[in-house]
Amino acid sequence: MTSDVSLTFNQTVRGITEFIEVAIHAILYVRQVYPTDLFVRRKKYDTPVFQSRHPSLNEYISGAVKAIGEELVLGNVDKVVVVIKDKNQVALERFIFSVQNMIEVEPYNKDTSVQEAMSSAALGQYFRAFLVKLNMVESQIGQMYLGEDVSFAIVLELKDDRSPSVSHSKDPPPWIPADNQHTTAGASTAAQLHMLRAVDTGIINLSLAVQESEEKLRREREPEIDVKGKQRAV
Amino acid sequence: MGEPLATAGSTSSDYFEPEDPAFNEALQNAVLPGDAEDVSQLDAALNPEDYPDLIRTQHTLKRSHSMVEDLDETLSFHHVIPLEQRQGLSDEDEETYGASAFGGFGQYMRRKRAKLQIQNAQMDDTDDKSSEKSRIFQGIAIYIDGWTQPSVQDLRQLIVKHGGTFHAYLDRKAIVTHIITCSLTPAKIQDWKHMKIVTPDWLVKSVEAGALLPWKDFIFRPDDRADEIQGTKRTQKSLFDGFVSQTKSRTPTNPPSDDSPADKPKAGTNTLNTPDASIEVPVHQEMESAQSALNLLTGPKRSRSKYHTIYMTDPATKEQAARIPGYAADKSNPAAQRVMANPEWRSAHTSVAPDFIEGYYKNSRLHHLATWKAELKNLVSEAQDRVENGVAEVIKVDAESNLDDRMEDGVSMRRTELNMKSPKAKGKQKAEAEEKVIMHCDFDSFFVSAGLVDRPHLRGKPVVVCHSQGDQGGSSSTSEIASSSYEARKFGIKNGMSLQQARKLCPSIMTIPYEFERYKRFSLQFYTILMSHADDLQAVSVDEALVDVTTSVAQLTAKHPSNPDPAKEFAEMIRSEVKRATGCEVSIGIAHNIMLARLATRRAKPAGSYHLVHDDVAEFMAPLEIMDLWGFGWATHNKAEEKLGVTILGELAKKSKSTLCDTLGKGTGETLYKAIRGIDEHKLESDKPRKSVSCEINYGIRFENNEQAEGFIRQMAAEVARRLDAVEMRGRSLTLKIMKRDVNSPVEPPKFLGHGACDMFNKQTPLATSGGQATSDDKVIGDHAWRLLKSFNFDPKDLRGIGIQIQKLESSSTPGNPDAGQAQLPFKRLETPTKSEHDACSSRNDTKDRDIFQVVVQPPSDDIVDVSHTVDGHGLSRAQDPRTELPSFSQVDMEVFDALPDDVRKELEAEYKRRLDPPESVSLGNPARRPEPRDMFPKITIKGTNVKRITQQLAPKARSTISPKKHNIFRRSGISITDDELRELDIDPEVFALLPEDMYREQLSLARQAKKSGGIAALVTEANRERIEIKATYRRSRSPSLYPKKPPPKANYLEPVGIKRPGGQKGERLSFTETEDVQKVIQSWVETYQQHPPYQKDIDFFAKFLVQSADSSRSTDTGMEKSVAVLKWWLMLIRRYWGMWEHEVGEDGVDAESGGSGSNLPVGKAWWKAFRHVKEQVDLVARKKFGGSLSLR
Repeated sequence: MTSDVSLTFNQTVRGITEFIEVAIHAILYVRQVYPTDLFVRRKKYDTPVFQSRHPSLNEYISGAVKAIGEELVLGNVDKVVVVIKDKNQVALERFIFSVQNMIEVEPYNKDTSVQEAMSSAALGQYFRAFLVKLNMVESQIGQMYLGEDVSFAIVLELKDDRSPSVSHSKDPPPWIPADNQHTTAGASTAAQLHMLRAVDTGIINLSLAVQESEEKLRREREPEIDVKGKQRAV
Repeated sequence: MGEPLATAGSTSSDYFEPEDPAFNEALQNAVLPGDAEDVSQLDAALNPEDYPDLIRTQHTLKRSHSMVEDLDETLSFHHVIPLEQRQGLSDEDEETYGASAFGGFGQYMRRKRAKLQIQNAQMDDTDDKSSEKSRIFQGIAIYIDGWTQPSVQDLRQLIVKHGGTFHAYLDRKAIVTHIITCSLTPAKIQDWKHMKIVTPDWLVKSVEAGALLPWKDFIFRPDDRADEIQGTKRTQKSLFDGFVSQTKSRTPTNPPSDDSPADKPKAGTNTLNTPDASIEVPVHQEMESAQSALNLLTGPKRSRSKYHTIYMTDPATKEQAARIPGYAADKSNPAAQRVMANPEWRSAHTSVAPDFIEGYYKNSRLHHLATWKAELKNLVSEAQDRVENGVAEVIKVDAESNLDDRMEDGVSMRRTELNMKSPKAKGKQKAEAEEKVIMHCDFDSFFVSAGLVDRPHLRGKPVVVCHSQGDQGGSSSTSEIASSSYEARKFGIKNGMSLQQARKLCPSIMTIPYEFERYKRFSLQFYTILMSHADDLQAVSVDEALVDVTTSVAQLTAKHPSNPDPAKEFAEMIRSEVKRATGCEVSIGIAHNIMLARLATRRAKPAGSYHLVHDDVAEFMAPLEIMDLWGFGWATHNKAEEKLGVTILGELAKKSKSTLCDTLGKGTGETLYKAIRGIDEHKLESDKPRKSVSCEINYGIRFENNEQAEGFIRQMAAEVARRLDAVEMRGRSLTLKIMKRDVNSPVEPPKFLGHGACDMFNKQTPLATSGGQATSDDKVIGDHAWRLLKSFNFDPKDLRGIGIQIQKLESSSTPGNPDAGQAQLPFKRLETPTKSEHDACSSRNDTKDRDIFQVVVQPPSDDIVDVSHTVDGHGLSRAQDPRTELPSFSQVDMEVFDALPDDVRKELEAEYKRRLDPPESVSLGNPARRPEPRDMFPKITIKGTNVKRITQQLAPKARSTISPKKHNIFRRSGISITDDELRELDIDPEVFALLPEDMYREQLSLARQAKKSGGIAALVTEANRERIEIKATYRRSRSPSLYPKKPPPKANYLEPVGIKRPGGQKGERLSFTETEDVQKVIQSWVETYQQHPPYQKDIDFFAKFLVQSADSSRSTDTGMEKSVAVLKWWLMLIRRYWGMWEHEVGEDGVDAESGGSGSNLPVGKAWWKAFRHVKEQVDLVARKKFGGSLSLR
């Protein structure tokens, strides 16, 4: 459903979480974290996207995204990082969804159209641009050659002094403290950041960037993937 | 019996002497409740006294009044006191006066009755010196109900003294012959409808006359105001309201006379007969005239174009639309489409907005015109009523001086009043033989000329009145022209065109706004002048009236027999009078009937008069078109053209009556046939009753869902209910009119927020409460209307107009059709305007209706309470408006009264005294006056009435205000809390003034408590809490709706960082924010400095931009994106020119810097250095957010 009506706060949150979910699938496909035949091609935001068929993977992703959405509504979220790591849990790439809440919305106004904000149709177009960029990310950071053992994690970075809200159900809270080295804060100076796309909705601004870790860059420069190379560097 | 009782004693014990046979006899003969079988009258046994001061004393207030009243309230146990017992009274006082045993209620009542009868007897005996005995009330048993004037006590004395029997209890209807009352509840009216109910005047007058007057002359009519100065209208509407309008005055219309002895109930007649007597129901003349009356709503003046084009901006039917030349540029209104897409605008300006109806009526010209017309009609008929009742005085209102006082703000005429010229005879009933002189008086382009009064500079220019002002709306304005000056008409501009069309015809057209206030004032002045000359008057619209001036013209003719055309002279006189009063020109058409007068006006215009005399009629009519005749429209015109081929009256005159009837239908044909011959049998319609009350809105109706539609229907129902209440009517039938967007028409019609082409639907349903009664209840109306709308099953989005009309009106106070449905308890809903006008209105405005909308509400003007007597009682006003709440003095418990604090009591006394003054002048008859009370009464009464009316007019017009705020403040100022006190309580007086009534009391008490209870801290916290409460409640009370109160959230975009001054091009100050622009600037910078290293100033300048743009605390991520893009471009540029230096510098920077000697080396090196420096800075801020550094690959 597209229209020219400007977004409401809740629509924005839903749109962003939905996009993050789509994008995570795309990242996993593009970066070949899982074999490509695990994915099916679908259409989203008027652009082809690949979606995982693996039920437990999907469940993990959707669960995480749901939890992200809950925090997003509260305005706690600073970044969502999809970190791709090797078998030693060393972060190689970080796909960073950075969000920025631009306005405070009273609870009763969460479903009110935000004046002068972007329309949902326009936001859809932006998401499409994001995905196009994402699908082309190989051109910037090269093919993933790191072997079969890569895996990924979803890291939620909250604004300073915030902590994840307590879950209301009996379930344990979805979040556990992250490995520092997976987070953007753990990125070394040499890590290279590629800005993929950013959008200002006027309500919650979103950007997607990919960051190559120093370790990855080093390995690229020195194709021998072994301890020896590492030692040589030191 | 019949023996005078000669008692000289004065102490009560004397009466109980057994050897006083007369008293025994008296007791024996006394009628006690239940003694019906052996009724023997007390009359003769008693020794009535001629109390010369009786009437005077009737205003002496006695404590015992309250006792008597109490007795009435007590349960009436019927018990016959054994005669022996009564006889034995004197022996055994204890039997009557002894203590009652516990539980002996029967005994108590028995004793009480006995005591009362003894009291009666006693009363009769006190100071009877004269042996004369009045026996005028002999054989009459009277029960007094409720509060009376004179008081019960005095009446009782009167009755007993003059041989009547007074009953304190109405145990059985059979035992009393008459009931005396000043006011009755509807239940009692129902209950006693077969009893003889009379006013106390009967007794008083009879005593004065010394003979029993026919009771029929004093029949109690429920509308009789018991006490006019009391200011309190009866609290319950009585059932006979419909019959009373011809007896407004409480003075009996038939003076007491000595005839009709037959009416006098004979002494000794069996009182059991009384149930056969019934109240005579006066048949109201107007009821008959109602049936013969024609359609009341003559409708707004139609434009009568020769071209058969109609001008209106929002045609409802396609047929109409076809005849309208394009008044708007587009088929659909693009502006409307645009704004309708915006939800905020939509919720604020269309029918879903909570205050939509209010705004609609505030700005709707047609609404104003319709309301005024209705009001004018009411004023006219009221004036006529007064004339008919013979109470009106000849008051020629000085238009200039008085009207200004009457006119307060608010655009309603309700408070004002017209005084009709005193009649020679009522116009309508006049012999038809006399040639009538009808004048049709019509302002020349009323709105415009009213507007020009204080805009003399616009005189002589093409001027129109419309909503849209100046250039607003521009050339595409669809604002409808309500009135155009004659100059503008020369350009072909017609009323009803859109402003856009008019601009095309005359680009220099001037617009002036509506000034309803002024129109109203002028209109009233106009009517006042007409009233003073007219025998009869029909209000056609605000600026148009038909008057019958036959008498005036006849007088004029008599005075100046030589005058060739006195009627025309008279018309000119009226014209100049109106011109003097308003500054506007009136045109007057004179003829012997309405239709011709209307036609004559057309000839008279502009600013003239024309007398169409008999002989000229045929000639005058011949060239006219059908549509020129009033009452014939386009449809008739078409038919005539189609079937007869002619539309000119001269031609049509040749057709036979039957031809016309065949082609046009019987009614129309006949009327036309007569019309052509100058015959018009219409009579002036000045007093036709309203037939329906309705509320229709077809502008701005845009719903999204059924909830909104239902909400709106309910609001409209409330509006209709209010209007019903205002005219004191209830309806039995409801018609819902729906305009639904035609499937083929665009969603947004050409007229901005108009209805466009629509299909119309009407549905009617009987309207009744659950008990089958007619109703004016908004909930019931809303339910019915909503049910009807639902039954249509329309898409709410397609609704374009909604109207609710209530028909089959009956007065809210007449009894419902008695045989309809099951019997009902005769409880009537308390009508709203029963209290003081002011009060009722204010409470209506601020309480429940506050959150819906405020529209002018006009309860009938005869209910107006004189608000000029503002009682400034501190203690009183706090509780309630004393004018409305004070009980009559006879009802006041004297013990309580005495126990009141001195100052309060004095105030009360003063107030009662004030109230009592006028009737004293009325009924404080000294003997000298008595023989001619008839002369005195009417005059005094009328004076009272008129004075009251005048004061009403002069009084601040709080009621008809449109602005509820103003009203509130006015009312609130009556609350005895000063602003200072409020401030002391830490309440902002201004906020306080805006609070709804129920809240401010609460707040006040809370605040006071807080102040009392504690220290500063408590006060402060309490006050804070209050503020919060106030806020919260306010929000709640204002809006039951779904719409956001606060402005909706607004998107926030950080101002993008830009380059203010492009480097290298001095003097030029541009701001570049877009990536491409900045890139261009960089490029020109780089290219300019190919041979020279860049200046540090420029580098810093760009660095500042790039850093700020990338800084997450200053910019968004799009800024970062931009920063990266610009950096990349810069990198590319310097690579292009100094590519070879990149690695050298990158790998061995120190080297290159120190050993720079090549021709290009310093420049390239400097550029690379600058770049890296800037990149580092950008990295630094980017690292804060993302860590690492930016990649420029």
